[in-house]
Amino acid sequence: MSAGPAPIPVYSPAQLARNRRRRMRRLTVAQRKPGWLGYAFLGLVLLVSILPLYWSFLVASGDASSARDPNLSWFPGAHFIENAYSAITNPAVNFWKALGNSLLVSTVVSASVVFFSTLAGYAFAKLRFRGRGPLLVFIVATMAVPTQLGVVPLYLLMAQYGWIDTMQAVIVPALVNAFGVFWMTQYIQQAIPDEIIEAARVDGASSFRSFWSIALPIARPAATMLALFTFVATWTNFFWPFIVLTPQNPTLPVALSLLQANYFVDYSVVLAGTLVATVPLLILFVVAGKQLVSGIMQGAVKA
Amino acid sequence: MRTTLRARTALGIATITGVALIASGCASGDDTGDEGGEITLTVATFNDFGYTDELLQEYMDANPGIKVVHNRAATSNDARANFFQKLGAGSGLADVEAIEVDWVPEMMQYADKLYDLSDPAVEGRWLDWKAAAATDSEGRLVGYGTDIGPEAICYRSDLFAEAGLPTDRAEVAKYLEGDWDRYFEVGHEYVAKTGKAWYDSAGATYQGMSNQFTNFYEENDGTVVATENPDVENTFRTVLEESADLSAKLGQWSDDWFGALSTGEYATMLCPGWMLGVISGNAADTKGWDIADVFPGGGGNWGGSYLTVPAQGKHPEEAKKLAAWLTAPEQQIKAFANAGTFPSQVEAYTDEALTASVNEYFNNAPVGEILINRANAVDPTPPFKGPKYFQINDAAQQALTRVETGQQSIDDSWAQFVSEVEALG
Amino acid sequence: MTTLTPRQRLSNLSFRATPYVYISPFFILFAIVGLFPLVYTAYVSLHEWSLVGGDGGWVGLDNYAAVLGDKKFWIALRNSVSIFLLSSVPQLILALLIASALDTNLRAKTFWRMGVLLPYVVAPVAVALIFGQLFADQFGAINNLLGVFGIPPVRWHVDPLASHVAIATMVNFRWTGYNALVLLAAMQAIPRDYYEAAVIDGAGRIRQFLSVTIPGIRPTLIFVIITSTIGGLQIFDEPRLYDQFGQGGSDSQWLTLTLYLYNLGWDRFDFGKASAVAWLLFLVIAIFGLVNLVLSRRISTEGTR
Repeated sequence: MSAGPAPIPVYSPAQLARNRRRRMRRLTVAQRKPGWLGYAFLGLVLLVSILPLYWSFLVASGDASSARDPNLSWFPGAHFIENAYSAITNPAVNFWKALGNSLLVSTVVSASVVFFSTLAGYAFAKLRFRGRGPLLVFIVATMAVPTQLGVVPLYLLMAQYGWIDTMQAVIVPALVNAFGVFWMTQYIQQAIPDEIIEAARVDGASSFRSFWSIALPIARPAATMLALFTFVATWTNFFWPFIVLTPQNPTLPVALSLLQANYFVDYSVVLAGTLVATVPLLILFVVAGKQLVSGIMQGAVKA
Repeated sequence: MRTTLRARTALGIATITGVALIASGCASGDDTGDEGGEITLTVATFNDFGYTDELLQEYMDANPGIKVVHNRAATSNDARANFFQKLGAGSGLADVEAIEVDWVPEMMQYADKLYDLSDPAVEGRWLDWKAAAATDSEGRLVGYGTDIGPEAICYRSDLFAEAGLPTDRAEVAKYLEGDWDRYFEVGHEYVAKTGKAWYDSAGATYQGMSNQFTNFYEENDGTVVATENPDVENTFRTVLEESADLSAKLGQWSDDWFGALSTGEYATMLCPGWMLGVISGNAADTKGWDIADVFPGGGGNWGGSYLTVPAQGKHPEEAKKLAAWLTAPEQQIKAFANAGTFPSQVEAYTDEALTASVNEYFNNAPVGEILINRANAVDPTPPFKGPKYFQINDAAQQALTRVETGQQSIDDSWAQFVSEVEALG
Repeated sequence: MTTLTPRQRLSNLSFRATPYVYISPFFILFAIVGLFPLVYTAYVSLHEWSLVGGDGGWVGLDNYAAVLGDKKFWIALRNSVSIFLLSSVPQLILALLIASALDTNLRAKTFWRMGVLLPYVVAPVAVALIFGQLFADQFGAINNLLGVFGIPPVRWHVDPLASHVAIATMVNFRWTGYNALVLLAAMQAIPRDYYEAAVIDGAGRIRQFLSVTIPGIRPTLIFVIITSTIGGLQIFDEPRLYDQFGQGGSDSQWLTLTLYLYNLGWDRFDFGKASAVAWLLFLVIAIFGLVNLVLSRRISTEGTR
């Protein structure tokens, strides 16, 4: 027996509204699932990011002619270890010393920047004192001044103290920076409610106690981000160490540049050395990449 | 909980710092501090002076209590930057620093920062002009000469055979005998027969030509005459006009230039002693290079170095002794055998070790004899190089490159050179 | 409570005095290594100052006149501006695109975000060494690739514009991912209702992007533009290591202002002129920064109309 056409569903106005909202939500940008195009685009971006590094690996595992080889195979050759060894043991490059120096400098500078920035940031964010406003504006203003501006006198200063070609020359000028203070000030201002500090004060805690036991722990996430950034930035810094250090006492980027400073340059060795030198930061990236990403994104919103 | 995390972070930082200190300490090794009476002297050279570890060990064996550490910069440009920067900073230079002849004029401005190396024992050791260049206005000798670069012509005998040119080196010498016009003439002959280039670049040929003049860029008092001296413009234009056909347009020290040593893109090259090592080192499998006892215009010198003792060093007297030993005729001949750095010491020219030396790579050519002849053919008055020489010559080389790469015409490039020289002040 | 205990009084005092104590390490160090050099650069620029010889006496504005009269300075300026434009504009567009692609409900968000950030941890020196060879004139990989499409080899190390493109590519490689993340953060802060409202009004994806996203991320966009301006005009590592000679090209094809500064100071040992260039560089950056600020404000407000 025929049942006739299916009954037409009837919705109440409330249901209609709800369905409409659901439909719209499917359309809005954020909830929209990326189609294959989105993934393909991102995949392409990732590929383009990796390709130069992979190419370097191909050349580094070949020989001196690989960099110019029009028919370079997509598969790596057999000489990577050999070339890397060549680059690392090259006496003019001082690789191990450079690695040690970079590690030392980056660690000390990160620790120092975080400490002094947190201290100053706490003061700017939570303490009231005369001149607070103008000083903060001043700090932000100096962030816009390029670092190259002061290199000549800074060099003269280092020469005067006899610090040329020492790690002090690279560490001391980097012990504090305006960006760090700004970063911590922003974070502490938002993350630590005034009431907590007030309460501690009423309880008789000294300012330092409030700082150390209350503010510091809360500021730790931002401090970690700052430490990571400063570490990466210090590690990859080239201009200043290049000026003030020499081949006998380099940091890693300076040592890398020495690989190319020859009359005859074997680029398979140069690129092998380059790849090896990239490994430390790659390790950091694998270990702390997530924090790096969230650090950048958090900092962006506060900018 | 909070404390342990803080403690862990602190521990982490301490560990990394510790590792870093150990790593940089382990690799340092070249501590210029004295360890219980032993003196460590650092010698800084560049490129290849021929000072091998064995050679330095000889000195250490003969002088117990002295340790010699050898630092080598890869290029002379890097060495120059390092030298002058540290000279200005007042610290950081090695005990013995090698200087190239091109920067000697610049260096002489600061001769007071160098230790006085005058010594009756080494009087007359070097060719007059060599020692004179390193003597300051008060008569202090501040540099001990190491090598000079007397030039001959290196050629590819196999390519010459292809072109029907003589291949035996004595015959080649006779064939090319004459001035630069003769050299270019034979070059055109070669190009006509083979279609390949005759020499590597305008820049290298220009270098050979310009070093034969006495006051090319500057007068003896330092006045810059580069833009007015007709010799400069003539040389510039002649070289570029000839280079249109004769040059392989390969910038010196570029990758392609090194490659061409093997592939034979050019048949001849101006060859100072130290170039022999460069060729044999970078074209090890190529047969066919030979060297002829001839040079257009008679003789030419390209390069040459000195050893200096910066006054800022801690052991100037011992460093002076070391420098004197390294630049003694016997040691320089050994260096020559190692790297082709031809002695600037007069006694060496009569030493059998030099006169009989033969280079297997260059078809067993008697290089010692050839280079001695070429050294004798060099004009005893050296080309004057004032403090601005280095920069003016750089500008000239760039001007030549601009034309060779097709970026500018000869006239435009010359005009730019003139304005750059004027900007130097 | 009107009377304070001694402890509270001490606490009050410490709270009043300590701000200065807390900020003083920063300011003292900063004064020595940050401020003093800035001022001293101006001082040095007014003297004849050699790296080796030291202070040679007052010369007033001679150094500035010499630098401004030096053709190399203007070429360096041209190069810096050209590289800056070639790097910032594509980089910004690409970063916006990547950020939009990331601002969706991706699977494995962290993986993709870390992925785009990867080039950031490769040191500029390393990037320069790698790309300098990718862009080799004879048989470099890029030229080989172009050859596949029938395009004749480009002289990356001879033609000025080609060299600028190559160097801009290096800068873009390193910073695009970073800036994409910055923009992503800003995009994620835009309330979703704005998009819903736009959809109701019938806006397609592109219109949504222009009218909602761009104005919504305006402050961050301006920030990114300004920082890439400041950074882009200052680059040193990449042009220096683009070839093994480090002179910015045989004819200064890719000589940037900072490289010019370095050559003056540490190759020619003329600190007076180098300091003059430092101040001129600062001026150039300030001008471009301001121009960019004005322009980007104008552009991002247009979208809301």
